[in-house]
Amino acid sequence: MDIYPLPLPSTSTIVKIILPDKSCRTRDVGPVTVESLLRELGLNPVEVLVSKNGTLVVEDAIVQDTDEVRIFRITHGG
Amino acid sequence: MKSGSSGSLTGGKPLTASPVPETTPHCSLCSGHAVYHDRISGRYLCRDHFIANIESRVTETIRSRKMIQPGDHVGIGLSGGKDSTALLMILSRLLPSLDGVRLTAITIDEGIAGYREDTIRSADELVKKYKIPQVSVSFTVLFGNTLDAFLKGREPEACTVCGILRRKALIAGAEQAGITKLATGHNLDDEAQSVFMNVLRGDLPRLVRDSASDSQGWFIPRIKPLMHVSEKELAVYLMLHGAWPDLPECPYAVHALRMEVRTMLATLEVKHPGTMLHLLESKAQIEAHCAGALVVEPVRHCRECGDACSGEICQLCMLKRRLGIGGS
Ligand SMILES: [Zn+2]
Ligand SMILES: [Zn+2]
Repeated sequence: MDIYPLPLPSTSTIVKIILPDKSCRTRDVGPVTVESLLRELGLNPVEVLVSKNGTLVVEDAIVQDTDEVRIFRITHGG
Repeated sequence: MKSGSSGSLTGGKPLTASPVPETTPHCSLCSGHAVYHDRISGRYLCRDHFIANIESRVTETIRSRKMIQPGDHVGIGLSGGKDSTALLMILSRLLPSLDGVRLTAITIDEGIAGYREDTIRSADELVKKYKIPQVSVSFTVLFGNTLDAFLKGREPEACTVCGILRRKALIAGAEQAGITKLATGHNLDDEAQSVFMNVLRGDLPRLVRDSASDSQGWFIPRIKPLMHVSEKELAVYLMLHGAWPDLPECPYAVHALRMEVRTMLATLEVKHPGTMLHLLESKAQIEAHCAGALVVEPVRHCRECGDACSGEICQLCMLKRRLGIGGS
């Protein structure tokens, strides 16, 4: 039996976030800047890279709708 | 964690500036989409302008500090981690502009389980890809055992012990390769952390000495071509080339004062952009003031191994005694 999810209200957004440890979470309030998203997650922009839908973005890029955000931790060591 | 497959973001393919919505800032120099925001200058850079910026800054560091001369045979301390990977990639790119210069990678296997295997595999793939000769030195061959074995029960001393042994291993590799310069992947963050750590330790002589000019005990000049490029910039550079090494962190890093300093400086840097550069500038100013003022101890030679050192016995020989490593 197919399950059809209810259409989401147009004002709502679901942003998928993939954290450095590869775990996933969603956030359904938007739009939001990458920087504030990082702040929410307790991450320092100097210590991570962020991609949006497979493309590297800067901290003031805006994340919204069905964007997939991926966060990479810059590990120390050379 | 799996390594080997670098560039996890796009499965190894370089990132493209594919359709980008208006929610992403543009490059300050063209209409491309920005991949990096320089918080100091306020400038946004696209992929191409970012890469060009990094490479021209490294070229300038090499030029202004006369790091590489025509005909030099440059050894690259290549661990396979992100900094040395970026160093190898950038130097390979700049090679055509460096008159008669050759590169050889020097890879040290300290014997750190669950960490070094991955980075060494990554280093091996890299030298194959860039067709660069490689010399490998392992702690087991040189000192008779792995770093893991030496560190049993002395984990908090890991970085000190490893640093002393690595230095010897690098010298051995450098001799074997017959290089004229030894380049390491130290970046702006590393340098700023070192300045701060030496201040925290109250070690002014080391603050002044522990730099490119630190040649004590080294018969080959060391160079740090990435010293003005931040760790984040190097990470972006690698990511843009599809060469992001998805590698674990050294298991001993948690014990290091450096990690605390790293977190602290990163926090300051984001609030006060330029903090790390200012630390480097402070060091340069102290160096300038100290020129000639610091008493330079005459170079002595280790009673046991004959290497240049500041006391009776060199750090390495003292450590070997402590760790019960025989003969030298
Ligand atoms: Zn541009
Ligand atoms: Zn000695």
